[in-house]
Amino acid sequence: MLLGVVLVTFLLIRIGTRDASLMLAGPFADAAMLERIRSNLGLDRPLYEQFFIYVGHLVQGDFGLSWISGRPVIDEIRPRLVATMELLLPAFAIGGFAGASLGIASAFRYGSRFDHTSRFLSLLGFSVPTYWIGLMAIFLFYSVFGIAAAPMGRIGMASFPPMPVTGSVLIDGALAGDWDVVIDALHHLALPVAILAVIIAAPILKHSRVIALDVINSDYVSYARSCGLPPRIVRQIVVRNSLAPILTLAGSELTGTLAAVSLLELIFAWGGFGQWGLNAILSGDFAAVQGYVAVIALFSIGVFLVIDLLVLWLEPRTRS
Amino acid sequence: MAVAISDIRAGDRLARLWRRSSSFVVGSTLVALLVLTALLCGVVSPYGATEVLPNAILQPPSAAHWFGTDGNGMDVFTRVLYGARYAIAIALPSAFVMVAVGVPLGLIAGYYGGVVDEVLTRMLDVLRAFPSIILALAVVSATGQSLVNVVVVIGLIDAPIFARVVRSEVISIRRSDFVASAVVTGNPTWRILFVHLLPNTIKGAAALLPLRMAWALRVSATLAFVGVGIQAPEPEWGALIRQGAEYIISGQHWVAMFPGIALVIAVFGFNLMGDGLQELTDPRLDVRK
Repeated sequence: MLLGVVLVTFLLIRIGTRDASLMLAGPFADAAMLERIRSNLGLDRPLYEQFFIYVGHLVQGDFGLSWISGRPVIDEIRPRLVATMELLLPAFAIGGFAGASLGIASAFRYGSRFDHTSRFLSLLGFSVPTYWIGLMAIFLFYSVFGIAAAPMGRIGMASFPPMPVTGSVLIDGALAGDWDVVIDALHHLALPVAILAVIIAAPILKHSRVIALDVINSDYVSYARSCGLPPRIVRQIVVRNSLAPILTLAGSELTGTLAAVSLLELIFAWGGFGQWGLNAILSGDFAAVQGYVAVIALFSIGVFLVIDLLVLWLEPRTRS
Repeated sequence: MAVAISDIRAGDRLARLWRRSSSFVVGSTLVALLVLTALLCGVVSPYGATEVLPNAILQPPSAAHWFGTDGNGMDVFTRVLYGARYAIAIALPSAFVMVAVGVPLGLIAGYYGGVVDEVLTRMLDVLRAFPSIILALAVVSATGQSLVNVVVVIGLIDAPIFARVVRSEVISIRRSDFVASAVVTGNPTWRILFVHLLPNTIKGAAALLPLRMAWALRVSATLAFVGVGIQAPEPEWGALIRQGAEYIISGQHWVAMFPGIALVIAVFGFNLMGDGLQELTDPRLDVRK
């Protein structure tokens, strides 16, 4: 699958790109210079050869050098990825939990006012663009109320970044015992994490409602009901049976969330992996874009693997 | 008299539709509103879409400028209205690309199975695991930033979704008698695919259409916001929000806020309509409990 993603993006980007050497050399380059850039980047070789060279390096963990900064792509990605995870993981935990519980709750109250309201809200959350809600939140909480931290990075200008150990400002600050930095980092995290959690919760709510409805309408739940089991036990049965499909779904949502994270990072000048990737796309840095895409694909594969293992543990039926 | 009776009937039908799926009614109304705006914006709007008013730069909303003016002295209300044109110009053609590419692929994959089917399923796996907005961003920025490119890329990325829906429908009816009798009476394969199978498999894809149009709108606006795709001074909503982003911290919210609201209403309308359409066509959800 990873190979598929890499191949597809490689082909799409490479076939579509106008001559990259022209772009890199600028308007005043002569033919010899263009030639030199092309051979430096290996662009004068046939496309399939370029692809095999690239994949050959990729499997050895070599993402190549950035066309613009000239540094190894992997070195650019690694520290930024931690910053992104600082946003993504807590938001996903909060949003996923809230979405799933609201979804199951509205399935139990099918057709009620609660159900309609939560469905309406989820559809609305589904329709609101991430970046716009981010901008509006900054306007409200920073410009008007003045309670949010300035949307410029992970810590304020007055704070000194702690010694990097894990790369996470939060954890490093705690390790160094510098609680001012920890509080400052939390202050900067609050708004983007809250927005991201809402964005994540909306689709999970929508789908977990349908999943739980299917379970509630299933024969085995009707049977449990007709046996006279107390509602509390029936509810337990429904929740346990909905959990595995909801988890699978949450996994595919998590990979989709990487796009939302990238946009939020752009707005909050977070300096993470997503912002870096978008900038790479804008500046036409082919090696960096490929690295960005490959890391996202790797991340998806990792998420799917973890989810599959969790489902295996949750659902005895899938163990054969 | 006859008119009055048909009026009552129409009202009756609307009431029944409202009971069965209120979201469909509300969603279609919003979409109709969008189409109307796109048609009439040239007549209704007080200024030109890219008309610069040198005396009114970054003015807050007022009676003369309902949504205020932007940093170039252009009227935000006018530009938001004209944005509806871009929304339609993106949603409709990209939906056309999705269907024109996806549906035949799904018919072929479902009917023949084998390698075609295998390749299609693999492609879908890849797309499912990958954020499509990022794919669209990367491809559009590489292939050049024009309306046509945006539409084609969005349509192509979404086509496999339609292929999958049609494919599973085809597989479920491929073995039925009417297909077999069409084969033995000597119909050519294209006729079986497009005359016999297509009408029986298109319902699911049709119900999906508004949802994917909502998605197309979101993606094209996102592209424009990031700076790939349609660019200011074109009055595309994403591009307008991008223009307004720089004024947010200093408190001039109106440049970004109003196009965002318009975008949300349009996307929400398509989503509601699609949700309602699925409610109307999916018998599984009709079980009242």
